Amino acid sequence: MEKGEVFTPMSDITATAPKKEVQGAPASAPAAKKMASVAAAAAAAADQDKAKKGGQVHFKASHGLVVAFFTFILILHAAGVYLFTSGFLLTRLVLDDKSECAVPPIDAARAYVSGDAARGCWHPKTFDKAIVIIVDALRYDFTIPFDAQFEPTDLAAAASAPRTPPVAPRHYHNAFPVLYETAQKQPNNAFLLPFIADPPTTTLQRLKGLTTGTLPTFIDAGSNFAGTAIDEDNLVAQLKNASKKMVHLGDDTWHALFPGSFEPNLTHAYDSFNVWDLHTVDNGVTEHLFPLLKAENTSKWDVIFGHYLGVDHAGHRYGPDHPAMTAKLNQMDHVFRRMIKELDNDTLLVVMGDHGMDTKGDHGGESEDEIEAALWMYSKKGIFGRSSLAYTTPPRNAKIRPVSQIDLVPTLSLLLGMPIPFNNLGKPIEEAFVGKKGTDFENLATVNRLAAAQIHRYQNEYAKARGLDESTRATSLALWSAANSAWNTLGRRSSNEQLNNVYQAFGAYQRDTLSICRALWARFDVPRMLSGVVILVSTLIVLAMYARGIQGDRSELTPVFVTRGVIGAAAGALVGFGATLPLPATFKEHVLILSTAMSGIVGVASTFVSLRDRVLSPFPVSIWGWTSVFFTLALSVGFAANSFTIWEDEILLHFLTTFGVIAVISSFRQRDKTDRTLGIYHSILFTVLLRVASFSRLCREEQMPYCTSTYYASTSSTTSAPWQLVIPAATALLVPTFIIGYFEGTKSYQNTAKLWLGLGLRFGLMLAAAYWALDAADDGEWYPEWSNVISITKRLVAQIVLFISLAFGYSIYNWSKPLLSVIMNESSDAAGAPKEAITVLGYANVHGSRYTLLITIWYLAISLLQKPMGAGAIGILVWQLFSLFEIIDTNRLHTSSIGPVVLGLLGSFHYFKTGHQAVLSSIQWDSAFIPLIKIRYPWTPIFVVLNHFGAQILCAVAVPALVLWKVKPQQKGLLGVLAKAIATHMLFYATINLATTMWAGHLRRHLMLYRIFSPRFMLGATSLLVVDLVLIFISLWGARMSILSVAEVFGFGG
Amino acid sequence: MASKVTIDASATSKPKPSTAAPIEPLKNDAARLYTHIHPVIVLSMYAYKFNAIVADPVPALLAILAPLAVLQVAYVAVCLPPTGETPKVRKIKPGEKKRNAPGVLESGVNGTIVPAFLSLLLAALAATPLLTATLVLFGAPVTTHHLHTLLSGAHIALLSTLPLVYVHGVRGETWRQIVALLMPIDEVYGGMIGTMLGAWLGAVPIPLDWDREWQKWPVTIVTGAYIGYAVGKLLGGTLLKGKKIMFA
Repeated sequence: MEKGEVFTPMSDITATAPKKEVQGAPASAPAAKKMASVAAAAAAAADQDKAKKGGQVHFKASHGLVVAFFTFILILHAAGVYLFTSGFLLTRLVLDDKSECAVPPIDAARAYVSGDAARGCWHPKTFDKAIVIIVDALRYDFTIPFDAQFEPTDLAAAASAPRTPPVAPRHYHNAFPVLYETAQKQPNNAFLLPFIADPPTTTLQRLKGLTTGTLPTFIDAGSNFAGTAIDEDNLVAQLKNASKKMVHLGDDTWHALFPGSFEPNLTHAYDSFNVWDLHTVDNGVTEHLFPLLKAENTSKWDVIFGHYLGVDHAGHRYGPDHPAMTAKLNQMDHVFRRMIKELDNDTLLVVMGDHGMDTKGDHGGESEDEIEAALWMYSKKGIFGRSSLAYTTPPRNAKIRPVSQIDLVPTLSLLLGMPIPFNNLGKPIEEAFVGKKGTDFENLATVNRLAAAQIHRYQNEYAKARGLDESTRATSLALWSAANSAWNTLGRRSSNEQLNNVYQAFGAYQRDTLSICRALWARFDVPRMLSGVVILVSTLIVLAMYARGIQGDRSELTPVFVTRGVIGAAAGALVGFGATLPLPATFKEHVLILSTAMSGIVGVASTFVSLRDRVLSPFPVSIWGWTSVFFTLALSVGFAANSFTIWEDEILLHFLTTFGVIAVISSFRQRDKTDRTLGIYHSILFTVLLRVASFSRLCREEQMPYCTSTYYASTSSTTSAPWQLVIPAATALLVPTFIIGYFEGTKSYQNTAKLWLGLGLRFGLMLAAAYWALDAADDGEWYPEWSNVISITKRLVAQIVLFISLAFGYSIYNWSKPLLSVIMNESSDAAGAPKEAITVLGYANVHGSRYTLLITIWYLAISLLQKPMGAGAIGILVWQLFSLFEIIDTNRLHTSSIGPVVLGLLGSFHYFKTGHQAVLSSIQWDSAFIPLIKIRYPWTPIFVVLNHFGAQILCAVAVPALVLWKVKPQQKGLLGVLAKAIATHMLFYATINLATTMWAGHLRRHLMLYRIFSPRFMLGATSLLVVDLVLIFISLWGARMSILSVAEVFGFGG
Repeated sequence: MASKVTIDASATSKPKPSTAAPIEPLKNDAARLYTHIHPVIVLSMYAYKFNAIVADPVPALLAILAPLAVLQVAYVAVCLPPTGETPKVRKIKPGEKKRNAPGVLESGVNGTIVPAFLSLLLAALAATPLLTATLVLFGAPVTTHHLHTLLSGAHIALLSTLPLVYVHGVRGETWRQIVALLMPIDEVYGGMIGTMLGAWLGAVPIPLDWDREWQKWPVTIVTGAYIGYAVGKLLGGTLLKGKKIMFA
C-alpha cells in the first residue's frame, strides 16, 4: 500500500479544509479570529440550534416519505413476482411415506396373503427378473411400419382419389420393425402401445415420472432441496429395499437420481450431454449388456436398467429425417432381435421411449410429437393378452389406446411382486394382466383395485399434508365409493361383465384423480403470469422515470408520489374487491392484486403528468449513462440464450473490466492532476482486483469441461482445503488496513473509526478466521479427543463475531459522532499578535467516512458466513467498493447512473465468486449451522440469505456511499440525490428480474427451462426482493443516521 | 505501468483539451493508393490463414506476425507523415491542416523507415505486454494458453499501436490525450479504436454453445481485431474524420 496521499489530494486535508471553513464555522486560517466575542457567537448558536431543529424535522419527514415510496415499489415488485410465480412455479409437496410390502393399501382380494416378497407383496408376482431398456426419444411412429400407419380404407380411397396425399416414408420409417412384428405375430409374448409422456419431456423429469409414477412439477418441495436424488418412494427404491440386485448401463442421469442403488462392478454410466456423439453410449450399453444375459451370469442380477441415447442424439444433431436416424434405428432393431434370441424364459423385457421428438429432433415441450413415445413388453412366458381381437395389431397411431408413462410403475411393480410406490398415480396396463385369452377380468379388477386403493391412500395423506379443500376431491371420492360398492357386490362367481364393470369403476377413479392432480401441478396459469409481467413492466417504467427522468430534488416530489400511489392503490383495492364479489374463489386473489397494483401505479404515474415541466427524457446523455444502459440491457437480452446465462460470471467480469477501462480513459481526461492520478490508480486497482477475485470459481455442470472449480478442496467436495484457511486470516490482517488507508486519506481515521475499524472489525475478522480453522479441525477430526469442545467453541466464536458485527457495530454506528476533530494552531501574524487557526481534520469526507462504517459492519457478518474462499472474495469486494467511491469522486460521477449500475454488476459478479451459481443446488444450506447447531427461526433463513446474497447485500449497502463519499458537509438536497442513486440501483435489479421473468415465461417449453431459465428467474426475483429490502431498511436508514449526525455539527446546509 | 510514470513526468504544464488536428495521410499518389489497398491486403492475408489459425492458433498466428509487421511498417512509411521526439519533424502540431507533407522520396530512409522501425520496436516491446495484460484482465486464461494470449496481444499491438507511435511519437502529453480518447478521429486513431472495439466484440461468440472450432481462444478476438481495424481505419479516414469523442 502506498501512503495516504495517493487516496486524496493533500490539499483537501490541510489547505482546503481551513479555507472551506470560512463558509461554515466561525474561524479559519487567513482570517483568524480572537475567541472573544463569545456572547455574539452564543446568540448566533441559539438561532442555529433552532434552524437545526427545523432542518431535522424536515429531513426526518422527507426521509420517511422516501422510505414509504420505496416500500411502495417493493410491494409492487413483490406483487408482480408473486402473481407470475404462482402461475409459473406450481409446486407439489413430496410426501416421505413409503409403501411397504406387508401393508397393502386395502384388504387383499381372494384371501391372498400379502407381505411375502417371494410370492409377490400385494399380488402374486409374474416375473423374477426384468430388463428395462429406455431408448431415449423413441417416438411411437418410429416403431410402426409406414403402411400400417394409415387405415386400409384410407389407402384405398387415396388410391382412387386424384388428390393423393404427398406422403412418403421418411428416414425414420420402417427402420425399427422388430417391436411391431413381435407384438403382431406373437400377441401372447409381446405388445406394443403408444406411451404418452407428461411434459416437460426432458430425460431427468421423465425418469422421475417413470420410476415414481407421479407428475413432476417445477419444485418438488421435499426434504432434500439441494440434491437431484429422488427422495420420494419409487420403483428403484422398492427394488433396492427388497434386496434385488440392480444393474444400470447408459445415461448417467440415473446415478444422479438413484445414487448407490446399482451394483457397482456391473454398472457402466456414460455422460449424457455430449449430443454430438451418437455411438459411445449405445455401444457401451450393448457391450456390457449381452454378457449379463449368458446363463452363467444371470444370478448376478435381478433387474437391468439400460438407457440408449443414440436415437435422441441423432435427433438433436441431425433431426429425425436423416440417414443417421435410419442407421441408428436399424442398430436398435438389431440389438433387440438379438436380445429376444438370448433372453431366458423367466425374464421380462421392457423397451420404451422416455419421450418423443419434434420435427427438428428436439424435445422438452408438450407438442404431440414430443410426448408420444412407444412402449413394448416382451416375455417368453406368453402371459400377455388383448381384451379384444381387434387389439392384436398395435395401434396405427398414438391417438389410439395410448397408455400413460406413469402406468408403467404399477404394472412393473405388480409383475415383479413389489408394492406400488406410495405416490403413484398410474394404473396397471391392461395387456399385462388380462391373461392369455384376454378374458381374465377378475385379475384386472383386482390389480386395478390395488392401484386405486394406493392412490386413495396417497390422496388422503396429500390432502392432510397440504390442507386441501374437500370440495376439489368430491367427485373423485364419489367415484371411489361407487367402485368399492361395485366390488363388494361381487359374488364367488361373477360374470365377466360384472368384473369388467368393477375394473372400469376403479379405472374411472384413477382417471379422475389423475386429472385433478394434473390440473393442480402441471399447468402454467398464463393469465396470472401475464398479470405479473404487466405489474413488473409498469413498475419498471415508473421506477425508471423516478430514477432518471426528473429534474431537481426528488425528495421534494416524493410526498406527491406517495400520496397518489396510496390513493390509487386504495381505490384499486376497492374496485378490485367489488369486481371479485361475483367471481369464483380462484380468481379473487388474482383480480384483487392486479387491480390494486395497477391502480397504485397509475396513481404514481399521474404525478409525472402533473409535473410535466420537471420531467426529463429518461434516456442517457453521457457516455456513462449509455454504458449503464448498455450493461443492463445486454445482460437482460443475454438471458434469453442458455449459453449467456451459463457463462454469466465471465460476462460480468468482461463488463466490469470494460467499466474499469472506461474509468481509466475517463481519469486520463481529468484536468486536475491529483484527480487524474488518483482516478487512474483506483481504476487499475479496481480492475486488477476483479481478475484476482475471478480465480474463485464454483462451476456449474453446464460449464464443464471449460471450467475448473477452485472454491472447495476438490470438485467433488464441499469442504475447504487446509491452505484455504489462510484466506480468512489474510483478509483479517489486510482488509481493515486497506479500509483504514481510505480513511487516512482524508484524516478521517479517528474517534469511533479507530474503535471500530482498528479494533472491532479486526478482532471480529480474526475470530471469523479462527472459526474456520476450528471448523476444519472439527470436520477433519484433527483432534478426535477434543471434538466436542471444538464443536461447541466454534459456534460460540461464530456467535461472538455476529454479536460484534450486528450488536456492537450497530451501536457504534448509531451513536457515533462524525469523524472529525479540531486542531487549534497557535501562530502569530506579521505584526506579531497571537492568532488561532483552526484546522478541522476529516472535513473533506465527513459524510462518506461516517456512512461507510456501515458497510464494514455488514462486511464482518457476511464474511463470517462465507466459506474461506468466499471470505477472500468478499474482502476483495469491500476493497473494490472503496476504490469505486474514489473513481466516482475523482470523475465527478456522484449523480451518474454508472455508480449504482456498477454496484449491481459487482454484486452479481461476487455472487458467483462466493461459490454460488444460478442453480438451486448451489445454495449453501450448511451456512445456517455456522453459528447455530440446529434450525432456529428467524435466524436460520437470515443466515442463509446473508450467505447466499452476501455480495449483493454489501453492494446495496454501499449505494448511498456513492453519493456521500467526499461530498461537502453542507451539501443541499443530499436526500434527493440519495433517492436517485437508490432508485437506479433498484432499477438495475428490476430490469434483470423482468428480463429473466419474461424469458422464463416465454421459454416455458424450452428444453433447458428447468436447468437454466427457471433457476435464473428465481435468482433474479429473489435478489430483487432482497436488494429492495436492504436498500430501504439498511441503506436508507443507515444514511439517515449518518446524515443526521453530520447535521448535528454542520446543520442542513444553508 | 510505465506509461503512467511518463504521464506524470510530462504533465508539467496544465493539460488542455487537445487542439491537435486529425492526421492527414501523405498527398502523393503512392500514399493515396496504398492507404486503401493496405487494409485489403491485411485482411486477405488474415483470411488466407484463417483456417490454419483455427486449426492451430499458435504457429499460424506466429507465421503471420512478421508479414503483418512488414505490411504495417510499409503502410506507415508510404502513407503517413512521421513524427518524432524532435519538433522539427513534427507536422501535425497546431491546426495547420492543409500543409503539404513531403513525399516518401524527399524524407528518405531517415525520415520514414527509421521511425517506422522504431514504432515497430515500441509496439512490440511496450504495447504488446500492456495489451496482453489487458486481455488477461478481461478474462483470458492465466494458467494456460500463454502463447495464444501473447500472440493476440502482439497482433492487436501491431494493428493499433504501431501507426499511432509513428505519427504521434512518444510525447507523454500526446499519449495522455491518446489514451483519454481526446484526439480528433483520423484513420490512424480510428484504426486503433476499431481494433480495440473489434477485439472486445470478438469475445461475444465465445460462450455460445455452437460447438464450432473457431470459437476457441483466441480466434474470435484476433478476428474481431482485424475486422475492427479495417472498419475503424476506413470510417476514421472518411465519415468520422475530425470528430471528437465526448464523454458527457
